[in-house]
Amino acid sequence: MSDNAEGDVAVVRPCLAPGPTEGVNYPLKVHYCGECSMPMEYCDYSGRTEACRTWATTHAPEALEGLSIDDNAEENEKKHQKRGGKGTSKPKDKKKSDWRLQTFEIDLKVATKLFAQKFACGSSVTGADEIVIQGDVKDDLFDLLPSKWPQITDDSIEDLGDKKR
Amino acid sequence: MFKKFDEKEDITGATQLKSSVQKGIRKKLLENFPHIEPYLEDILPKKENFKLIKCKDHVELLADHTGVVRFMKTRNTDFVPTLRTLHKYPFLLPHQQVDKGAIKFILNGSAIMCPGLTSPGAKLTATVPKDAVVAIMAEGKEHALAIGQMLMSSEEIQSVNKGYGVENIHYLNDGLWHLAEKSIN
Repeated sequence: MSDNAEGDVAVVRPCLAPGPTEGVNYPLKVHYCGECSMPMEYCDYSGRTEACRTWATTHAPEALEGLSIDDNAEENEKKHQKRGGKGTSKPKDKKKSDWRLQTFEIDLKVATKLFAQKFACGSSVTGADEIVIQGDVKDDLFDLLPSKWPQITDDSIEDLGDKKR
Repeated sequence: MFKKFDEKEDITGATQLKSSVQKGIRKKLLENFPHIEPYLEDILPKKENFKLIKCKDHVELLADHTGVVRFMKTRNTDFVPTLRTLHKYPFLLPHQQVDKGAIKFILNGSAIMCPGLTSPGAKLTATVPKDAVVAIMAEGKEHALAIGQMLMSSEEIQSVNKGYGVENIHYLNDGLWHLAEKSIN
């Protein structure tokens, strides 16, 4: 059923999307407000326009020019909650054990190799600064890291718990 | 759709994709967004691997090599750019402009009603078919505030002028917006 619908979309869309404007360099640089995280022109609707404005005057006064922030434009008292948190998803027997290794100037490739040998399990570089070690080796890892690389101290290792990834 | 999206709860897993699969996705993106061609290299560099993040409700996200979510896919849509990607490359999707009065409701996650698209402050792009994914722009604003999927075609919206016109998939300050702000590990 969706076949048909998708086909339609794919055929029609090219003539509808406006396409890049001549003489404009993409990607566009959008100024985001540090308070409400939206583009600054939408600060009026953030529900805390005051805070946004204070932020803007201190951080990006030049972007404020030409933007009129109407003081009581929108009486939207809803505070949207900030979402915090870090890391995600599920472990199983794979333990994502550590990252930020690069901060210690450790070659990730070398480290993966070492982990794979030491723990007799799969180990791979999966991201810019991330290594996945397949196997429940977290405790051993904590011993291994400082002994192998003296620049890592016990204090600098943090157990992030069972984080999903 | 992404109103309550939370990375701890809604993400079920992230996978590194095989390069053949990545090639397929790139091809699909090019097909769906022909204008993206000169810029695809900037968004998803060929040399780097991107990740597919699977979430609940058949939602899938594409994160580039630094972990920033660039595209999303829902049950009913193909891969579409996230708002942050769209802000950088606004020409990827057809634009529909709503009037000022609609902004605050849309930022609250509500669907876009027909009158908001047909009033004087709005600009309804003609001939957009049903189910097409569009960028929701606002009167007097430069950047998109939401991404939606047409529930009727442009012509129907014009003639019916009542009820839901565009479904709100992703809007400023929803869960996905906050997710795309930082990289996911």
